[in-house]
Order: sequence, then C-alpha cells, then structure tokens
Amino acid sequence: MITQMHIKGLMFDPYNNAYIVVLRDEEESEMLPIWVGKSEAGAISMAMENVTPPRPMTHDFMKSFLDAYNAKVISVVITDLSEHTYFAKIHLMYEDSEYTVDARPSDAIALALRCNAPVFANDTVITKQSSEELEQWLENLKPEDFGKLDS
Amino acid sequence: MSTANPSNAHDSLIEYRVDRILEEANTDTRIVVLARQDSAIDTFPIWVGAAEGNAIKLALDATLTPRPMSHDLIRSFAEHLNVIIQRIVIADVKSSTYYATVHVYNKGVERTIDARPSDAISLALRAHCPIYITQDVLARRSSTNLDAWLAKIDSKDIGAPEVQET
Repeated sequence: MITQMHIKGLMFDPYNNAYIVVLRDEEESEMLPIWVGKSEAGAISMAMENVTPPRPMTHDFMKSFLDAYNAKVISVVITDLSEHTYFAKIHLMYEDSEYTVDARPSDAIALALRCNAPVFANDTVITKQSSEELEQWLENLKPEDFGKLDS
Repeated sequence: MSTANPSNAHDSLIEYRVDRILEEANTDTRIVVLARQDSAIDTFPIWVGAAEGNAIKLALDATLTPRPMSHDLIRSFAEHLNVIIQRIVIADVKSSTYYATVHVYNKGVERTIDARPSDAISLALRAHCPIYITQDVLARRSSTNLDAWLAKIDSKDIGAPEVQET
C-alpha cells in the first residue's frame, strides 16, 4: 500500500547539521521526515517557493531533459528505508511505456515539485518512522529551529 | 532549444578535459580547471558552488556513492530513454557567466539543452562524452593572466591540511 504525501516544509536539524523535509498525509495523521543535505534542501526549497533562478539549477535541467523528450513524471514513491537511507522510485511515462527509475528521495521530491507530480510513500516506510525516538526528538525542537517554510 | 549543429568557423570547438578541482579557501566556491585536450597548453577555470564542485569531483575521482547522485539520475534517465549524451559545449559568456549546452541524440535527432557549465560538466564526466569550449568563448574570456593567477593558487598548496608555521 502507498499513501499520498504532501511536502509540508523544510527545517534545519542543528544536531546533525542537516535539513529535514517533512511529508504528511492528507489527514495529517502520519508524518514522514526525510533527512537531506544542504544543497538537496536548497533544490527542494526553491521549488516550494516557486523561485525562478536566472540559470537552470540541476533539477530544472533534469526537467528540461525530460521535457525535450516529452517524458512525463507520473509520480514518485518513497519506497524503502534501510540503514537510515531512503530509497525512491521515479515513475516516468515515455512513448506509451512506463519506466521506473531508482533515485534518492531528495532528487525525486525536487523533481516531483517541478513537474507537479504526486509524491507517495510506502506504508512500511511510514510505519517504520513512527518511533518514539523521533517524536521525542521533534518535541525537543525549539521554534527557532524551524525555517520559514514550515507550516 | 534548437537542433542546430555549430558549423561556422566562429563557433568552432576546442576540446577540453577536467584537469582538477580547486577549493577556494574561506569561500563556498570551487574552481573547476579545464585543460586543453590537445598538445596546446591552456587552462580554463570556471568558478562553481561547493555542491556543484563536489558533484564534479565525485565523477572525476570515479567515486562510487551508495545512492545515485543527481547527475547519475540524469544519466539513468538518458539510458532509460535511449538518449545518447553526445557532447557538452561551453557556448557563451554573458556578464561573466558561462552558458553551456548539452547535446543529446536519439532516433536520428540531435537536440541541445541549456545548462549551467557545472551541470553539463558533471554529466559529461558520467556519460564519458567530450567537453568543448567554443573559439568565441575562448576569445572573450577575461583578459587577466589566469595562468599566473592559477600558479599562485597552486603555490598555496590548496587542499593540503593547513600547517602552522613555527
């Protein structure tokens, strides 16, 4: 089973010097945080804020590449979590065939936002994340740890 | 986007390779040093961001990452779509910003895609395709003595751990 997720925000994790992309389901009953690096967070934040940079950023170029061949991003799915690394799949439609491409969730999300494609997560991934440790960690976050993008 | 193939002499292409990546001390930038592929000696530096420089360095060092990086993903898309990445060209410079084009080929049609040089170079190294600079860009680059400047940078032994002199 997969659940559609919405990208709610990005926040800085001062303990790990990384960023967290926060995904929530439609009812906002489930939450999926994904730790990403600084440049990956930048690529996601630019798309969330609808910033048009003077030159195409990496994922804008990625989209240009797909657009050049009329390949459409149908959806992306966060599929697996192992050793704290998430796996994602990008589903492409090209010339009446569907292709599934392995990707990091950060790339998949940065691309999905630019292509207006839905983001899904495997239910197993969401379950794995609802650990006490994480909730505690989030509770301890101070308001100033939240970026302006967080809603 | 166009399918034009550079043909006139003004646009003739000179092949370069990535020679090395320099870290600029105290700034979040990297310098990608391209060197002329043929026997002529010339270097062509391009300033890029730290993340972009690191993406190029990973490919230059043929570092295997546990997960595909962004340009590995683009290459993967190309493979799935049966698109050949033929070459990249640093084709223009405006207000000290270089513009690159990625030339892709599929089913007898060549297309060019606009890109930043850092993305184009990062992809070229992963797709094992040649890197070109147009004569026009080479002629219009900054007139300061870049080689002398680079020699100075090299003499500072960038990349080596800083040693306190006693």
